[in-house]
Amino acid sequence: MEAVYIIINILVFLGLAPLFEGIIRKLTAKVQSRQGPPIYQPYMDILKLLGKETINSADNWGFKVAPLMAFASIVSVIAFFPLANRANLLTPYADVIMIIYLLTLGGIAVLLGALSSKNTYAMIGASREMVTMIMVEPVLAMTLIMGAVKVKSLGIDMTMFSTNYAGYGWSVVLMLVVYLMALQAFIGRQPFDISEAEIEILEGPFIEYSGPNYALFKYYMMLKQMFYAALFVVVFIPYFNTGFYIADLIVQIVEIGLIFVFISVIGSTNARLRIDQAIKFYTVLIVLSLCAVGLSVYGI
Amino acid sequence: MKALEQLKDELKSKFNNDIIKFETPIDDRLFIDVKKEGIKGISKEIFGRGGRYLVSIGYDNIARDNTLGMVHTFAFDKESYFVCVRTSVPESDPVLDSITPDVPNAGWSEREYMDLLGMKFTGHPKPKKLVLADDWPEGIHPLRKDVPYNLMPPPAENVAYQMDECPEGCSVVPVGPFHPSLHEPNHWAIFVDGETIKGCDYRGFMTHRGIEKLCTTQISYNEVPFIAERICGICGSVHATAYSQAVEMAAGFKISRRSEFIRTIMLEIERLHSHLLWLGVAGHLIGFDTVFMQAWRIREAIMWLCERITGNRKTYGMIVIGGVRRDITPELKEDILNVMKKVDDECNVVYKAIIGDTTIHKRSKGVGYMTKEEAIQWSIVGPPARARGVDIDARRDHPYAAYDEMAFDVPVVDTNDVWGTVVVRVLEIFEAVKIIRQALELMPAGPIMTEMDEVIAPLKHAISNVEAPRGEAVHYVITGEENRADRWRVRAPTYPNLQGVPTMLLNEQFGDFPIILGSIDPCFSCTDRVQVVNIKSGKVNVMSQRDLEKMSRRA
Repeated sequence: MEAVYIIINILVFLGLAPLFEGIIRKLTAKVQSRQGPPIYQPYMDILKLLGKETINSADNWGFKVAPLMAFASIVSVIAFFPLANRANLLTPYADVIMIIYLLTLGGIAVLLGALSSKNTYAMIGASREMVTMIMVEPVLAMTLIMGAVKVKSLGIDMTMFSTNYAGYGWSVVLMLVVYLMALQAFIGRQPFDISEAEIEILEGPFIEYSGPNYALFKYYMMLKQMFYAALFVVVFIPYFNTGFYIADLIVQIVEIGLIFVFISVIGSTNARLRIDQAIKFYTVLIVLSLCAVGLSVYGI
Repeated sequence: MKALEQLKDELKSKFNNDIIKFETPIDDRLFIDVKKEGIKGISKEIFGRGGRYLVSIGYDNIARDNTLGMVHTFAFDKESYFVCVRTSVPESDPVLDSITPDVPNAGWSEREYMDLLGMKFTGHPKPKKLVLADDWPEGIHPLRKDVPYNLMPPPAENVAYQMDECPEGCSVVPVGPFHPSLHEPNHWAIFVDGETIKGCDYRGFMTHRGIEKLCTTQISYNEVPFIAERICGICGSVHATAYSQAVEMAAGFKISRRSEFIRTIMLEIERLHSHLLWLGVAGHLIGFDTVFMQAWRIREAIMWLCERITGNRKTYGMIVIGGVRRDITPELKEDILNVMKKVDDECNVVYKAIIGDTTIHKRSKGVGYMTKEEAIQWSIVGPPARARGVDIDARRDHPYAAYDEMAFDVPVVDTNDVWGTVVVRVLEIFEAVKIIRQALELMPAGPIMTEMDEVIAPLKHAISNVEAPRGEAVHYVITGEENRADRWRVRAPTYPNLQGVPTMLLNEQFGDFPIILGSIDPCFSCTDRVQVVNIKSGKVNVMSQRDLEKMSRRA
């Protein structure tokens, strides 16, 4: 059964990530008094891109390998992920450090692709992406470390279920707020879509990508945003456990959907910040997340 | 005009040797003919006395007396009159002192006549090519009368504009010729140190249509307003009105009061449309697409209204010499008032949302900083000037159409940044609604069109200005024979404002480039008016997909 969970994990993520993207687009359109694309549009986008010709504008291996690397790293993270509050066969073989590592690898792949495409705009995008990674990754790390401190284990399931085991304290509330504030930055949406910033640097890191390679990057971005929403659900909403796998799964998917409503409302009611303004914001988040870990050490 | 007489006396006592004569065809227009030696000194004097530099007009007078003419124009806004300093240089030695060191905004005008008339300006700080294509042959100056309007010199290979040198320690980020933040083709080389802008160079004039040349060689007076409307897709009525006014002024001709009111209404509807459009674009430029969509939703109602008034959503074709083409009926009046009520209400909602939005404040406050003194020095016009405390508005300072009867405020703020331009524009929306309501209320009965019977006398000079949504548009007309103008010079508001942009960009963040440039509401094609279009030598060469791929990929 535990091996089946892995497959279900991957299928749920691969199958639903474009749907959630579609929900964001539809909701954003509603806020903007637009009709908006059909909710299944992101599936169509990916299919269409997959059928297009690959244009290798930068003739080097880094450019070709980067989308695969990004996609592979996020799929591996998903494989370890205890969706529906159940550890799967792979979960005990890794710890949260591994999760952080794999997530960072995805970011590195984006950087690799951007830097090897030798485009000025991609370079600017890459430098912004790098700054964003350095500044928001600590928030993710602190979220998991706080769990680890609470349950005194670095195991994925133990850490992620820490709220379930150790209960809601002030530290968890603080971390929840910080995580929500960082969420838009994790997934590169307004006001933190700085490294893509279409109007300034034309989608930055992805400017030279087309066809299947770009489809992989797009898919990677969708999976990533679904993962960060799912991580929030697993860590901070440990309730509604029915004991039945399918029921738990559905509950969590609905909860993820609610997070996406939050994401699209924030995304459509904010302007894009500048990188220097964003850095100030991230610094505050890092300090707050450190405070949350500090509190959790004292069991608050 | 006491101030005008006083200026005349003082110039006479100071530059008596250089001045040939004064001419005041209308009370508020002073033309001064000067010797070419005096042009620099007199221009400096007028500029120093607070004369706002408008534009320079170069023209070909070779057929008459073997000279090239040059006019520098200035406006005194407080005293509401214009001063035009005219001079001429012999064709054999077309050299004139550059006024750019004293009047920085004259830089482009002078560069234009280096290209188009073959004039030379001693002491010009940046005598680079401005208007002509890079492969245009040396020695052909398209605005000279002996150059046919449809001349097509053969294209040349491997010529490119030389951008300015990049300062040490900086790298170049090319923006354009096609870039999502530009909307129209033009090229900026931005010199950045990290993300901080340390300088820039601009190469524009990529979509020249040769409108001025065309209208002074092929087309008669009455047809020009329709072409003038097509100078700009957004402020069409502005250019048609400014041109018509200039011709009417040169002919000494008065149109009916009712048509002046209708012109006022059209100009203000256009302002509403343009400001909402700008608000949307500005939102998009800072990544706030909700503002973009909502502003354009409100704008749509205005375009439908215009369709009912004029038959067109944009480029109305309403304004002609002698009046307007369609009347505003009582039903249309009702319709306009209804739409105004809706626009007013919806803009109030948008205004409140924008005023309270922290991310918009963060992205626009202190961004694109330029002091009031710099704005005056660079002769900035329109909302960018009014956001920097420069209290000018052609509608109030040089009343035309029916503005003398309208009561309205000119919003002026002194934040000196992009935020100020947002505030000024949103407040102007409400003022425009106010003006439209007043105009509909006060509009007298009468004909909408006055026929002009007499022939317009040649070689009369006239200058007229209209406050376009983006700033002040200036049209200068020299009447000619054969029922068409001898010279027509258009100065769109982007022309002076764009020259001030490098000052606004200095030491800003690269991420702010789109919104700083956007804050002047640039209309590049408005500046690109003069050159004859260069089409390849008639031979059609169909390119296959493979050819295009080959070209667009690595050579």
